[in-house]
Amino acid sequence: MTVWREAVGTPAARVEGPAKVTGRAGYTYDRPVTDPAYAFPVQATIARGRVASIDSAAAAGVEGVLAVVTHRDAARLADTGDAELAVLQSDEVGFRGQFVGVVVAETPQAARYAAGLVRVEYEQRPHDTELRADRPGLYAPEQVNGGFVSDTDEGDVDAAMEAAAVTVDRAYTTPMEFNSPMEPHVSVAVWDPGERAPGGGFAEGARLTLFDSTQGPHVVRSTLAQVFGLPPERVRVISPYVGGGFGSKGMPHAHNVLAALAAWAVPGRPVKLALTRQQMFALAGHRTPTIQRVRLGAGADGRLTAVAHEVVEHTSAIKEFAEQTAVGARMMYAAPNRRTSHRLAALDVPVPSWMRAPGEAPGFFALEVAMDELAQACGLDPIELRARNDPEVDPESGRPWSGRHLVRCLREGAARFGWAERTAPGTRLVGRELVGLGVAASTYPYYRLPGSRAVVEYEGGGRYTVRIGAADIGTGAWTALTQIAADALGCRLRAVRVEIGDSDLPAATVAGGSSGTTSWGSAVVAACRAFRHVYGEQPPAGAEAGADMPDDPDAERFAMHSFGAQFAEVRVDADTGEVRVPRMLGVFSVGRVVNPRTARSQFIGGMTMGLSMALHERGVLDHRTGHVINHDLAEYHIATHADVVDVDAVWLDEEDVHAGPLGARGIGEIGIVGAAAAIANAVHNATGVRVRDLPITPDVLLR
Amino acid sequence: MDFLRPATWEDALAMKAARPDATPIQGGTDVMVEINLDKGRPTALLDLNPVAELSRWSWTAGPAPMLRVGAGVTYTRLIAELGGWLPGLAQASRTVGSPQIRNRGTLVGNLGAASPAGDGHPPLLASGALVEAESVRGTRLIPIGEFYMGVKRNALEGDELIRAVHVPPAAGPQCFAKVGTRNAMVIAVCSFAVALDLRARRAGTGIGSAAPTPRRAHAAEEFLAGELDWDGAGPVDPALARRFGELVAEAAAPIDDVRGRADYRRHALAVMARRALGWAWAEREV
Amino acid sequence: MDARITLRVDGRVRPLALDTRTTLLDALRDHLSVTSPKKGCDHGQCGACTVLLDGRRVVSCLILAVTCDGAEVTTAQGLAQEGEPHPVQRAFLEKDAFQCGFCTPGQVCSAVGMLEEVKAGHPSEVTDDLTGPVTLDDEEIRERLSGNLCRCGAYVNIVAALREEAES
Repeated sequence: MTVWREAVGTPAARVEGPAKVTGRAGYTYDRPVTDPAYAFPVQATIARGRVASIDSAAAAGVEGVLAVVTHRDAARLADTGDAELAVLQSDEVGFRGQFVGVVVAETPQAARYAAGLVRVEYEQRPHDTELRADRPGLYAPEQVNGGFVSDTDEGDVDAAMEAAAVTVDRAYTTPMEFNSPMEPHVSVAVWDPGERAPGGGFAEGARLTLFDSTQGPHVVRSTLAQVFGLPPERVRVISPYVGGGFGSKGMPHAHNVLAALAAWAVPGRPVKLALTRQQMFALAGHRTPTIQRVRLGAGADGRLTAVAHEVVEHTSAIKEFAEQTAVGARMMYAAPNRRTSHRLAALDVPVPSWMRAPGEAPGFFALEVAMDELAQACGLDPIELRARNDPEVDPESGRPWSGRHLVRCLREGAARFGWAERTAPGTRLVGRELVGLGVAASTYPYYRLPGSRAVVEYEGGGRYTVRIGAADIGTGAWTALTQIAADALGCRLRAVRVEIGDSDLPAATVAGGSSGTTSWGSAVVAACRAFRHVYGEQPPAGAEAGADMPDDPDAERFAMHSFGAQFAEVRVDADTGEVRVPRMLGVFSVGRVVNPRTARSQFIGGMTMGLSMALHERGVLDHRTGHVINHDLAEYHIATHADVVDVDAVWLDEEDVHAGPLGARGIGEIGIVGAAAAIANAVHNATGVRVRDLPITPDVLLR
Repeated sequence: MDFLRPATWEDALAMKAARPDATPIQGGTDVMVEINLDKGRPTALLDLNPVAELSRWSWTAGPAPMLRVGAGVTYTRLIAELGGWLPGLAQASRTVGSPQIRNRGTLVGNLGAASPAGDGHPPLLASGALVEAESVRGTRLIPIGEFYMGVKRNALEGDELIRAVHVPPAAGPQCFAKVGTRNAMVIAVCSFAVALDLRARRAGTGIGSAAPTPRRAHAAEEFLAGELDWDGAGPVDPALARRFGELVAEAAAPIDDVRGRADYRRHALAVMARRALGWAWAEREV
Repeated sequence: MDARITLRVDGRVRPLALDTRTTLLDALRDHLSVTSPKKGCDHGQCGACTVLLDGRRVVSCLILAVTCDGAEVTTAQGLAQEGEPHPVQRAFLEKDAFQCGFCTPGQVCSAVGMLEEVKAGHPSEVTDDLTGPVTLDDEEIRERLSGNLCRCGAYVNIVAALREEAES
């Protein structure tokens, strides 16, 4: 058994911190490449149809333009099964903003200017981008993201609702939301062409190196290898620093393929492709809008008899992504009658994808506001209501919890936050501001993804290098892995150097599902143990040992989830309806915390994004054109400094003995879950106005 | 895109006369957004940065001297150097974009852009500013109320440049208010400015982001001139303040858009006008 | 259409010939390989490209490089002297005032510019007393740094970092 003695659990400063604060950290576009050319995309200006003709003569004639590539002349891909990645392979247009061409030029300015000169004529077909709960054609996906079944039905919800003393039956909506990492998606493609195959295909000998801003270098490598028909070892993806992702860099998107196609068209030249902020709104994924019906039935004592969570959301007609919005309702509260479902509308919209806590983030807005409504209807304190419905075992699987401490989180938070000061809705007026407190529960599953491997090498002189092709997108994983390795090897923190961010390093799973540190960390522990097993405490320089992440038998025996309690105070201007959030507190139960400094940053970062979700974020689709109207940071608002006053997070001091060698369950996403509901519930407490549609805007608070 | 760099104001006017299609650029905070957006890339840019005299301000001559704010005076300098004389304009300027934008951006540049949401417009309307437009043909002073012609359109002729804006120094308390959907770095959902002239016993108003152009609330101004107890002590009569707010809201012609709904804009304008009047009046007693 | 200008970037004189359409940000990044200012939006809406231009903080994406001939540009890289982080950079490290780090060079430059503005007595939207010296409390810090977005949500730690700077 490894002793967590010196490094794990201490607030070590980020290993890459000095490079980041002094601007020396080289992000994807910053990496020097020899003699680069620059790509700028041409995007479809219709939402559905086909490209009828393209006139690229004017663009090709611009000084400095090296190539204009369209579906007519792009290299043929080996696998076009994923329509999002089948870039420039046909004349079909599936959503507005889709790539229909790319210009490569000597300068970014020339490429951009020339891209504007490419004339594309379309044969337009009717499109449909509007999500409604009553629209025809809604369908149940075979499964939803995460591999969960689409629908569950246990007991008889309808009968239970009929018989319940108290019921809540409401619709809740969340809008289209955009991950919006500060670093736009960038790919720099470099081909070593080998022999060019006849017909412009990719010959056996070709090698592709991609500098890419990604949450998973190995994921990008394996996907692109398949798309281009190359053996994986002929693709290398390098990604040392990533300027945020929040899911949008979790899987490859069309720009990765476009960059490689553009570079293929200019042999010998590396090609840099950086999406603009505007382009990201069509091409980098988004969170689907949701329409959620939540039904809760309870006895007069608040004990739930029925929970139903039925969700309507969209996907892109060209590729299915089914957000698992209702899945959390399956395990959250004890009720004998439970139903969940997901219905999708396949629309002519950009391809939705992961955004921080897919499923839980929008789902717990609805569920936790509904719980607040139920508490109100029962005349119960919202914390007491949740305590009364805390299940002994996972209602869905019947398995015991590996550790469910939701009620402790709620009670701890109540004491710290001053919950006892909460008054009846709409009764606390300070000056011209209505003040209210709100609470919501939070949860996120423990995911430990198989497929990671780590290698340890002794460099001599007391120094070790640990290699794993993982990604630190700002999570602190780089530092956490260093701490884990130091303790697993039994050496000082500064004796360990961890290398990440390169697919030439041993395989690692995606930085997603809050699984990175637990999955990669388990592999690192296994590799360190293997190393000590073979070489003992006095290894020769150059000694090396590796190990795969071991299996996780407890994951099959226990229901493993993190939990949390979110508290918010709001102040609402009684005359203008403007909402301010002076205080937020999260109390979390996540197993062992490897690094309290970076963990706190993760929690408050998630909560801050939840605040932003509650008050600011709403992508507006123009259904006439299929265009996201507010496609920049001046109109798609994310919270800024002045919006975020006092956000704090604490956690229970614990370890989850079932959660692998670290006893940690993952922390990256739980901070956003329930945060928007806590704010909406606080707004109700302040004003008496129940808001069921995000974001909460001033106009709905004026009565 | 041609890049024209006049060394003097006379050169600039000559260049503008020869190239009416040239877009003048000073701080660049409006023009560059349009350029980086690939929206209507101008055929030529006329860079006024080298014309040093534009970055100065001075007093106009005559019996009622005004502050003549050169086209190159940034928001940051306006706030720091002119805030004492132009408190309403300075207050609005402190909400323009971000500090980085204010360090480069100029009031006159935003006048040229004539966005209905520009924060500088309401206080200029409230204080009765004049736009000094000049061409090789001569100079004219355009009353600010006649300057805004439509969404992002102004009254300049093709060969004219704005040399300066003339703003009367405050003759009483002034106040600016703005509602946005974020606490800072926000384009106004709507905004309002009031300027009280205690000597002439009248009030000026300006409404932003609630009509195709920034505009005054004439009826509200007349109402205050007639009904406000200009000699009275104590706070403004609440009923009068409310009526003033209603009249301001009635003067607006807002639309629904991404930032807000028309009915909310009207409501918020009424609240802001009522509050702004109250704050301004209270300041008079200090 | 090319122009020739000279910039002084992080203490070094850098002559360059560039397309007049080139922004200061692109000139720094693509022509001079000074990559600490980042391109987050290219519209002055995120602050990631913030540098100090002749000592004042500006968003370099909204400035044409040709208008900066002879100017002094300081980036986050230049604030660190001989590998030693600037006090503001040290405070960021101490308070974990960043996560992905992409907005950080801009936040740091913005903070350094902000501290100068406060020293010069510039009021902000939340300054109550427009006549006296500015007291840099948390609300002032938040307001004055709101031109710099951080999607990781490091705001409260950034304020904590600058609170110490403000006190010292």
